[in-house]
Amino acid sequence: MSRFLPLSVGIFVLSLWEALVRVLDVPKFILPPPSMIADALISNFPQLLDALWETFKLTVLAFAASFVGGLALAVLFVRSRLIERSFLPYALVLQVTPIVAIAPQIVIWVGVDHVERAVFILATIVAFFPILSNASLGLRSVDPGLMDLFKLYRASGVQRLWLLQLPSALPALLAGARISAGLALIGAVVAEFVAGSGEAVGLAWRISESASRLQTPLTFAALLLLSLTGLALNALVTMIEKRLLRHWHPAHGEAS
Amino acid sequence: MLKLTGVGKRYPDGLAALEGLDLTIRDGSFTSIVGPSGCGKSTLLRLIAGLAAPTEGAITGLDEGSIGLVFQDATLMPWADVFANVYLPFRLAGVSRVAASPRIEEALSLVGLLDFRGAYPRALSGGMRMRVAIARAIATKPRLLLMDEPFAALDEITRNKLNDDLLRLWREGDFTTIFITHSVFESVYLSTDIAVMTARPGRIFARYEIAGPTARDSEFRASAVYLDGCRAVSRDLERVMSMGAP
Ligand SMILES: Nc1ncnc2c1ncn2[C@@H]1O[C@H](COP(=O)(O)OP(=O)(O)OP(=O)(O)O)[C@@H](O)[C@H]1O
Ligand SMILES: [Mg+2]
Repeated sequence: MSRFLPLSVGIFVLSLWEALVRVLDVPKFILPPPSMIADALISNFPQLLDALWETFKLTVLAFAASFVGGLALAVLFVRSRLIERSFLPYALVLQVTPIVAIAPQIVIWVGVDHVERAVFILATIVAFFPILSNASLGLRSVDPGLMDLFKLYRASGVQRLWLLQLPSALPALLAGARISAGLALIGAVVAEFVAGSGEAVGLAWRISESASRLQTPLTFAALLLLSLTGLALNALVTMIEKRLLRHWHPAHGEAS
Repeated sequence: MLKLTGVGKRYPDGLAALEGLDLTIRDGSFTSIVGPSGCGKSTLLRLIAGLAAPTEGAITGLDEGSIGLVFQDATLMPWADVFANVYLPFRLAGVSRVAASPRIEEALSLVGLLDFRGAYPRALSGGMRMRVAIARAIATKPRLLLMDEPFAALDEITRNKLNDDLLRLWREGDFTTIFITHSVFESVYLSTDIAVMTARPGRIFARYEIAGPTARDSEFRASAVYLDGCRAVSRDLERVMSMGAP
């Protein structure tokens, strides 16, 4: 039932859309009917898939970099208040600066003929902060009783980090990862829009290119792929989250 | 013999939790500590465990590195199964799983949870979790077992059952137990020795030895030793509380 509901809403909306566009005779560059979008998707599938792969690759790389970097920095922050106090303000500056504003400068720095590097850097910046803040929060959310036990049994700093703080941080870290994965995709697309000249080959470039040529069905097809990618990414991280946290708490596990 | 002389603990915010506390704990005894809420019982236990240092006085006769600790909530690692939770003290000491395995299994069978070694904490009842915590505390065969209101959050039936199990473990084992509780009845039922604390700043107000067999059962609850003990400790607690009221 709960699966059929969104499905039937989707079918209903698509049919309505198709019918209205045809009955009202809306020009296809303003709003193409779903059938035409499907057509564009099928006939351009290889090129779109290539473009999607580019964007996806950069998204995953940026996510991985922000995950590793954010977690490493969070570990440093938790180990030393001094480091945290000296670096946190700069991390915040990066967080609040709109990437659209810094994108052109980054492109200049990495070179106009290496747009994918700029996209990678920009997407990483966007995806970085949720990992950093959630990991810091998680690393500090250790059960004080367990902390006492580790002290009683004379755990080393490494043991405490590895066996206590990191596992304790897992739920928060994974919640951060879910946000960050979505942001990495958004960051990659936005960066491509801003940075993308002839060199860019990702989906965002396909979107802006087709839009400027009034190939609206193609634009919609690319958009559709982008949304599906976002959903798939989110589902993947959620699945990993469920799997890793299945023993923790009834809310994370299967129904109980 | 564990000896505390003139022990005081003042927290950085200036609050004196303990002051001039003298206490001797016989080796092999089951010593309960009772006292009004907030009088510094947990603080005292943390000092004995070496988790905090006294700001005054001295604690001697401690066999360091040979202490087991149990808190009011079981304090298990939710990401680890029962076996891995009991393995923790060994792991932190660098003992391999294989080498520690016999001790872990022995401890788990002592608390009746050998069949649950692969279960995760969230799948266990409150009483079972507490048993895991006890298994973890005794698996390393410590000389001293410290317990801070371990059964306070459990229902009475579970609590009585665990009381008897704990007594059996203590009798069969070879360790001293220091047991903090709010319950006068529990303290008299379990203990060979009882120390009543004053309100904050805590020190020892009175000491009792509970005679009678160390093997106790429901018959003991009807004995004169038990009833007199309960009466005396309750009376002390009332006095201590009225003294503490400003
Ligand atoms: N880390 C701390 N910093 C400052 N004050 C503390 C700290 N820990 C405990 N205290 C204070 O010391 C006093 C004694 O606390 P403690 O927890 O030892 O009492 P308790 O007898 O165990 O209380 P309860 O019966 O409620 O468990 C309390 O007033 C408490 O607020
Ligand atoms: Mg306490």
